Amino acid sequence: MSAALAEALNPAVFWEYRAILLKGLAFNFYVFACAAAAALILGLGAALLRVNRWRALRWAGTLHVEIFRNAPDYVMVVWIHFVLPLLLGLAIGRRLEFPPFLSAVIALGLVYSGYFAETFRAGIQSIPLGQIEAGRACGMPERLILWRVILPQVVRRMLPEAVNQFVSLFKATTIVSLIAVPDLMYQVSMVTQQEMRPLPLYTGAALTYFAIVFLAASLVRAAAERWRQKVYA
Amino acid sequence: MGNWERLVWNQRHLLLDGLVVTVEICLIAFAAAILGGLVLCLVRLYVRPLRQVAIALIEFFRATPIFVQLLWVNYVWPELFGWPGSFFTAGWVALALQSSGYLAETFRAGIEAVPRGQREAGLSAGMSHPLVFRRIVLPQVLLMVAPSLVNQFTVIVKSSTLVSVITVQDLMFQSQKIVNTWLDPIEILTATAAIYILVVFAVSALGKALADLLRRRYGLAAS
Repeated sequence: MSAALAEALNPAVFWEYRAILLKGLAFNFYVFACAAAAALILGLGAALLRVNRWRALRWAGTLHVEIFRNAPDYVMVVWIHFVLPLLLGLAIGRRLEFPPFLSAVIALGLVYSGYFAETFRAGIQSIPLGQIEAGRACGMPERLILWRVILPQVVRRMLPEAVNQFVSLFKATTIVSLIAVPDLMYQVSMVTQQEMRPLPLYTGAALTYFAIVFLAASLVRAAAERWRQKVYA
Repeated sequence: MGNWERLVWNQRHLLLDGLVVTVEICLIAFAAAILGGLVLCLVRLYVRPLRQVAIALIEFFRATPIFVQLLWVNYVWPELFGWPGSFFTAGWVALALQSSGYLAETFRAGIEAVPRGQREAGLSAGMSHPLVFRRIVLPQVLLMVAPSLVNQFTVIVKSSTLVSVITVQDLMFQSQKIVNTWLDPIEILTATAAIYILVVFAVSALGKALADLLRRRYGLAAS
């Protein structure tokens, strides 16, 4: 076991392939950034539908949330990559294929929009109705009330929850290797096939992701907490 | 509709076999995660010399992506520890590791929420420490964390789709096998996604109802 342990913790292979592995890691961050942006926008949209005054739109918002919040992200990635282009292709009568990166961003963006929608909605519903009525009484249009009165408070309130969801989203970006987006996990499997040394490579990947997620989460949480306290005080 | 019948309905035995494996691996992983989470949490709280080790393990399990853990357990552990010997075991171990980290923190929050006075009352009535924990602390903690347990179980079900990657023959694996046989993914993958969404939806709705029922019945207000 000690020989295996030494092999597992041996950083030499990891270091040898650092250029390609780092390029892979960059893809995790690209996917994360694009999917996070999509998830925030779609999530806000779905949350606004869910607090809408028309019942049909509320239902549409609920449907969006329930479908995407309950869908496993791997299943969603596979469905978007292999089924959606075919359906769209049938609709427009042409063969269609998504590049893996696009599929990954759409799928993760949709899944996490379901989670973000619930966070947004909880935040929106925690704003006292009186504030909205006060805005109306001052003659503010609805959109201005949303941007000036509701959203600034919602963003502050949902911050801790949102940080958790960003962490989950970043962790979920590792599965995009399964549809051949060349992220860190993809490169690790490639190098493993070449070198036949899974121990140091998979251990290295696990430790790398752990270090990134742990450090980033701690830093962002501390920063978010400081900002919240400063703005509330 | 011909494809739905041919690719989904006529393959229902395969899909059902897969679903059974999914249910099995999720239940085993959930039980192991509760046990592991409880042990990690108790070590962190009450075993001074091992406290830092428990914290390190909890943080490692929580911060590492499940897919990475799965491959790590599957490829590295057999050489390192000579175990697990099968893909199925590797699958539930990885699922359990991740969740045990989260549950350890959930349990800790629950234990710390039980007022100190109750524990002291138990001790001064002559109950031993383990008895106080078993009879006074644990029942309240379990009621308190019931909704989080349900939530963690849905996370396990969702993550369990990944064990198909290490050839555990769960629902996702069978569905992809059908795709590879017939080369027509639309119906079968849509059906698979729908099954997963319905299962996760049902688990979280039923679980929440059950948690609320237990909490009301044993004197904790519903969430």
